[in-house]
Amino acid sequence: MSVSEKKTRIIEPDSLIGKRIPKMDAPEKASGRTRYIHDINLSGQLYGKILRSGRIHALIKSIDTSAARALPGVHVVITAADIPDQRPIGVARDHFPLKVGRVRSQRDEIAAVAAESEEIAEAALKLIKVVYEDLPVISDPEDAIKPGAALIHPEPHGADGTHLHLKQGTSIAHRGKADNIAMRFDYAHGDVVKGEAESDVVIEDTFRLHYVTHCCMGVSGMIAEFDASGNLLMYSNTQVPFLHKREFAEYLNMDPARIRIIQPPIGGGFGSKLDIYPFEIICLFLARAAKRPVKMLFTREEEFLASPTRQPVLLTLRSGCKKDGTLTFRQVHTLHDNGAYTSWGATTPFVMMQTFSSLYRVPHCDYHTAAVYTNNPYAGSFRGYGNLQATFAIEQHMDMMAEAIGMDSLEFRLKNAQDSGETTGQGMVFKSCGFKDCINTAAQRSDYSRKFKENEANRGKPGNIKHGIGMASMLHVGGGAKIYPSDGCGTILKMDDFANVTLITGASEIGQGSETVLSQLVCEELGLPISAITVVNNDTAITPWDVGVHASRTTFIAGNSAIGAAKKAKAKILAVAAKKYDAAEADLDLRGGFVIKAASGEVVVELSKLLRNLHFQDKAELVMTTFYYEPPSVHQGKDFKGDVSAAYAWASQVVEVEVDTDTGMVRMTKITGAHDVGRVLNRLGIEGQIEGGMVMGQGYALTEDLMIVDGVMRNPNFRDYKLVTAPEIPEMDIAFIESMDGEGPQGAKGVGEAPSICIAAAAANAIRNATGVRMFELPFTPEKVYRALHGQTPKRYWKPWKAE
Amino acid sequence: MTELKHYFAPTSLDQAVECLKDGDVTILAGGTDLTPQSQAGRIRIKRTLMNIRHIPQLSGITLEGREIRIGTLATITEIMEHPLVRQHLPVLVEACNHFASDQIRNAATLGGNICNASPAGDTLIPLLLLDARVELASMPEAKLYRHSMPLATFFVGPGKTRRSLCELLTCVRIPLPGEGHVAHFHKLGTRPALDISTISIGIGGTLREGVLTNVRVAFGAVAPTPVRAARAEQALEGQKLDAAIIDRVAAIARDEVEPIDDVRATAWYRKEMIHNITRRMLTHVAQA
Ligand SMILES: Cc1cc2nc3c(=O)[nH]c(=O)nc-3n(C[C@H](O)[C@H](O)[C@H](O)COP(=O)(O)OP(=O)(O)OC[C@H]3O[C@@H](n4cnc5c(N)ncnc54)[C@H](O)[C@@H]3O)c2cc1C
Repeated sequence: MSVSEKKTRIIEPDSLIGKRIPKMDAPEKASGRTRYIHDINLSGQLYGKILRSGRIHALIKSIDTSAARALPGVHVVITAADIPDQRPIGVARDHFPLKVGRVRSQRDEIAAVAAESEEIAEAALKLIKVVYEDLPVISDPEDAIKPGAALIHPEPHGADGTHLHLKQGTSIAHRGKADNIAMRFDYAHGDVVKGEAESDVVIEDTFRLHYVTHCCMGVSGMIAEFDASGNLLMYSNTQVPFLHKREFAEYLNMDPARIRIIQPPIGGGFGSKLDIYPFEIICLFLARAAKRPVKMLFTREEEFLASPTRQPVLLTLRSGCKKDGTLTFRQVHTLHDNGAYTSWGATTPFVMMQTFSSLYRVPHCDYHTAAVYTNNPYAGSFRGYGNLQATFAIEQHMDMMAEAIGMDSLEFRLKNAQDSGETTGQGMVFKSCGFKDCINTAAQRSDYSRKFKENEANRGKPGNIKHGIGMASMLHVGGGAKIYPSDGCGTILKMDDFANVTLITGASEIGQGSETVLSQLVCEELGLPISAITVVNNDTAITPWDVGVHASRTTFIAGNSAIGAAKKAKAKILAVAAKKYDAAEADLDLRGGFVIKAASGEVVVELSKLLRNLHFQDKAELVMTTFYYEPPSVHQGKDFKGDVSAAYAWASQVVEVEVDTDTGMVRMTKITGAHDVGRVLNRLGIEGQIEGGMVMGQGYALTEDLMIVDGVMRNPNFRDYKLVTAPEIPEMDIAFIESMDGEGPQGAKGVGEAPSICIAAAAANAIRNATGVRMFELPFTPEKVYRALHGQTPKRYWKPWKAE
Repeated sequence: MTELKHYFAPTSLDQAVECLKDGDVTILAGGTDLTPQSQAGRIRIKRTLMNIRHIPQLSGITLEGREIRIGTLATITEIMEHPLVRQHLPVLVEACNHFASDQIRNAATLGGNICNASPAGDTLIPLLLLDARVELASMPEAKLYRHSMPLATFFVGPGKTRRSLCELLTCVRIPLPGEGHVAHFHKLGTRPALDISTISIGIGGTLREGVLTNVRVAFGAVAPTPVRAARAEQALEGQKLDAAIIDRVAAIARDEVEPIDDVRATAWYRKEMIHNITRRMLTHVAQA
């Protein structure tokens, strides 16, 4: 290249933001090369298997493991008696990984084996003899709160009625609980009595939300190994490696500094990997005892039986408004079926109360939840975190109240919808808010108003296929959620001699596309193509701290953190270039792998050359930066008030259905979604996220139903647990409202959970529009709908109740 | 655990039936029932696992005189695509169309569907409408022995048939339907693919000038076996399909079946669906 040519080289401005960028892990996954935990094997590894309870609620009278121990190929057999330092796990520390004296649900872990093959481990389990004494089963949460109800966690006694020699402790697992109330939440703003007095219309209904589970394509698993110095290395699918590192240390009574977690690519999370489960601790116990690496993988049936569920909820909602359409108050009581132990499901009220208090402007709000112990499976966190349940109730009431005062339901919603700049009764501050745009856009694109009226008029006409259209909207955190003292994320960024970037982030990839979007944000700052970046995000020994993948926070929090590190790198590079080429820093920029003159795009120097010059000189320097981002949000106090997220996401979705009145079959024909996402970063990624979320919402609404009868799971398999299949997926029309959030990375807000939240509520409204029948209980399976159409569903009323 | 000791893949019918004499043999065809059922512990694999897929005599779909012979190994996909079946037995194609998914249809065999004897087996209803006979082979002495029986008498209960442990199902024989024959199949499940029938209905007969004769009505998933509905057949026989008769037959059909409650549906819903779908199917036939 001649000198003159070099001088005239111009790099045109370009941006990665809003482009369709394929996920970086897609080629590996699509070609079957991704090495999930299932594909990882360590030399010398043993296989762990768990013996689960044969009973729902029973005392364990005796466990005989002698035959299992004697089986050739078996290395270790453990029961609670072998682990005297066992500590209770879970959100309420009410759960021993290996059960002590009593089983409380079908999935309960009694014993575990580590053996040379899975087959031997299985065979050994069959040789373990357990004698039980059955106890009465509580499978209905309403029974659990009746006076005199049997206790799920009484003060622990041994089989003979004497105290078990448990290590001292103050947790529920040690001391028991004198009632069946696992957790309670009470929130209020304003005065609902006053609100009710001002109301022209008051309605009250009970809604019932069922069990569903995550159905991750990759079943749960872990590999644990203690090295010769006693350090623990775990291959784990956790969504929250840093918090879990500390928690594992607590359960193992060891120094967290000696625990390292590597996350292989995760075959689906959706919230299921937010808690530590007994199998993980048991795997560690086995590895510790065997002094060999132990791998534990669930079968699909086990995945159903022993995974957390979405929180089932019984909810009575009382709402009021004035004739002019102004909302006056909302009063909510819920009974959460906590299951036998407490995981994150019990804490879904954190999110549910936000929807009740702040989705619409409501001057008076009163919210109560009691999460009660039963002998059912226990609920964990699941994409949407209570918001599907809350939205199901609230958005049906919006339609019902509009109907009661004779107002158009769109107008009614718009009248009460939040705007930017508002502070809600709960103290949430809506800096960017595209809610009204969402409502209007979804309504216009779907031709909601015209179809709504037409369908209503056609209801009585002959023919068994009825058409319906329904709308629902949602509010969800979109800028993290400060549920821990910190909601931050760290980044380390390093550039090499070829101007390639390694982005080391605390944020885990669980299939949501975070590594692609973070790469995009970094490359945008540094003017590099996406091919110039490598992401390291799965090893606690390398990556900086992050609170975990949850609350739709990664793009926002880890994105801001990555941008922070990239900006520091850019500043350093430009400072060096300015000095070397005798220019003002402000006049330079990075573009297309070059340092350029900002005004003209004229090339100053190739970035890689500049970096090499910097490195290979007397005062050698490398470009390596770090950044920690902490969002400007507030950790809520006991009153649950405060601006918990740095930004809030909004969406309105319109669902269209065909109801076959001969069979009760509901076919979803179209979903129109308008999402306030702040700004679209990776268009391909966000479309995928929204489409996937909509299908998850569709499954929740129509087909998925984990059937629990007297504590027994009736359908732990994909034949009878019905995920939505490809031909059922409706047409989708997705619109983005770009409200350009001031705090968001490039203006973006979180979107991970949003798309599944409204579907069930909108479907209920659509079925009503089609048939005149309102459905208060999920899911809308053909028989349920058929029964409702034929007046065979008595309306349930749960009398509001709150714990004393 | 299984007691499986031997795996055997005979290449002739003689070898296969010889092996069956032992009585302690599990027959493997497509494996789409056997694999999940044995893994779930619902059936036990016996001492010998015999894979019959390498026996040429068990395959093929052919016209033999006035009969169509479908080898036990014919897969659902083969049946669905075969010109003879498409031309003469469209109701069987209808059923295959609603069967599982492409992957399963490529592996699942007709013989497996029959021998598995599920009350919800999807090919069984059209085969009942078509007066199919099953042919069984065994080797009581040193010689191959074949006999056949109507499919309608083959089923005993869920997973139970009149096949003895020493017998192999070799093929199904279906008389060519005559002039004016109509038959339809409806599978009611909760989704269009990969579903077990909540109920299924087949209705067939000879239709001349709106009058249905030689009527066959069969129901799946409403009894321990797939069943013919004698009273509904009788009520339809020789009748002109008008609204009154359709309503009457639908009501008779509903009262005739005695389904159970299970994870898929309650007995009440199944009865309702037998009524509604029977009515819908007859209305379609009447209007066609
Ligand atoms: C995901 C999935 C979806 C399914 N969907 C459907 C559906 O929609 N409709 C439906 O009807 N079924 C369905 N099935 C069940 C199954 O696919 C069918 O019953 C299939 O026809 C079985 O055939 P096969 O060749 O796989 O049988 P196998 O599993 O090989 O055998 C089934 C049984 O028959 C016996 N057997 C097989 N051949 C012979 C023979 N020639 N002589 C004697 N005994 C024999 C075997 O020993 C075994 O007991 C589904 C199965 C799965 C896994």
